[in-house]
Amino acid sequence: MSWLPQIGRISIAIVQHLGAAGKFLPNVLPGIVVVYKRPKLLIQQLYSLGVMTVLIVVVAGLFVGMMLGFQGYHTLVDFGAESSLGLAVALFLTKELGPVLTALLFAGRAGSAMTAEIGLMRMTQQLDAMKMMGVDPMIHIVAPRFFAVIFAMPLLAALFSVVGLGGGYIVAAGLLNVDPGSYWAAMQMGVDVYEDVWGGILKSVVFGFVVSWISAFEGYYALPSANGISTATTRAVVTASLSVLGFDYLLTAIMF
Amino acid sequence: MVRVTDLSFGYHGRAVYRGLDLQIARGDVTAIMGPSGCGKSTLLALMGGLLMAQSGNVYFDEMDLGDRSKRQLYHLRKRMGMMFQNNALFNDLDVFENVAFPVRQNTNLPEKLIRSLVLIKLHMVGLRGTARLMPKELSGGMARRVALARALALDPQLVMYDEPFTGLDPISKDIVAKLIRELNDALGMTSIVVTQDVTEGMLVADRVIIFSNGSVVDDGRPEDISGSEKWQVREFLDGKSEGAVEFHYPAKDYLEDLFGID
Repeated sequence: MSWLPQIGRISIAIVQHLGAAGKFLPNVLPGIVVVYKRPKLLIQQLYSLGVMTVLIVVVAGLFVGMMLGFQGYHTLVDFGAESSLGLAVALFLTKELGPVLTALLFAGRAGSAMTAEIGLMRMTQQLDAMKMMGVDPMIHIVAPRFFAVIFAMPLLAALFSVVGLGGGYIVAAGLLNVDPGSYWAAMQMGVDVYEDVWGGILKSVVFGFVVSWISAFEGYYALPSANGISTATTRAVVTASLSVLGFDYLLTAIMF
Repeated sequence: MVRVTDLSFGYHGRAVYRGLDLQIARGDVTAIMGPSGCGKSTLLALMGGLLMAQSGNVYFDEMDLGDRSKRQLYHLRKRMGMMFQNNALFNDLDVFENVAFPVRQNTNLPEKLIRSLVLIKLHMVGLRGTARLMPKELSGGMARRVALARALALDPQLVMYDEPFTGLDPISKDIVAKLIRELNDALGMTSIVVTQDVTEGMLVADRVIIFSNGSVVDDGRPEDISGSEKWQVREFLDGKSEGAVEFHYPAKDYLEDLFGID
């Protein structure tokens, strides 16, 4: 029965962690005022977290779109429905793969960077130094990063989907001799702007919120040591990635 | 300026202070000295409101820090400055921007005035010429002086120095000590210097408080402390390793630990 207290301890630790994360959020959200008053803080973070992630999103989007082109073609051709390839690629990308894969890539690149940066600032007492200058780090450091991720995520997801559509087109029209006109026409006819495109964008806003919350929280409460920051960074990426997949299921069940 | 009454504080069940009483006079440079781990830096964090007393009170200018809201506490801290042991400079900002940071964040002054203010502070510590250098390009002594300039950026009434002499060569130590003394007098501030450096601490201070095991063991002018007969003071000032400061951290029986004997 020695495992019983162990399970209890782990459960208490998880509940405490969730509680701390819950208390963290109301401290960050008022930062929207500072972000509004000093947009430069937000723009800097949009650049370092958002713009610097564009390259991997474009590359990943291109390959995923090309892969979808191949897979979709070989499935549809058996039913003589290869002219619907554009629609299949578009629906996969806008509703699922665009928001989900962008969020996972973002958690790995920018989320981990955010956790490590905030954690290192804590370790080197830079956050304490700010507090002693009368500057709330939660508002001036965490909030601009937090909101930058929420703004950047849907834009990056949209970019991923657009590039993916291009990748699918290259494969379809260039390699598989699918009629280019039918590729785009099927897409235009079958994709619903509100349900499919806006649904995907809403998903990516939620994923941005989740990734941002987890990454900022783990960084802010990282133990001030090399191991503490490394653990916090790993935990941020793993928790954010799993949460994105979990929320994706929930949102898909609710929305579609 | 700062008053501590019946303060108790501890980490993970281990008490650092039990019922500590202390008063820091306005205008003085007060050196708080004592062996490592006696809670000197913790006391500074409590005085700056970075940590909160578990019982008892910490007053700054007769205002109880424990009673302040988060917003009031941030407002109050604009009247304090703290120089951290590792300087805590922002690595991605140059020297100028490090010193300008508290001014930019707390005021709406025009850029021209901010520039003048920052250059004045840097000139005070003799580092106006380093304005565009990055923190990693500075020597240890220079980084400490930049941290000092930043701590003074908002013209605080109280400046707290956490181990300002640690890791510095004798010349840099002397420069920092002179700066602490001269700036305190010139700007009419109150300074609290937490240090283990007996020579510099005695040199710079109007008053010295010796701590041991979380309580004040002696308190007075540097010359009085130097001549103190209290054994805890002598032990610290003369650097005797056999005394009240336990070599072994509390642990269970040695043999039991080694061989698992119950």
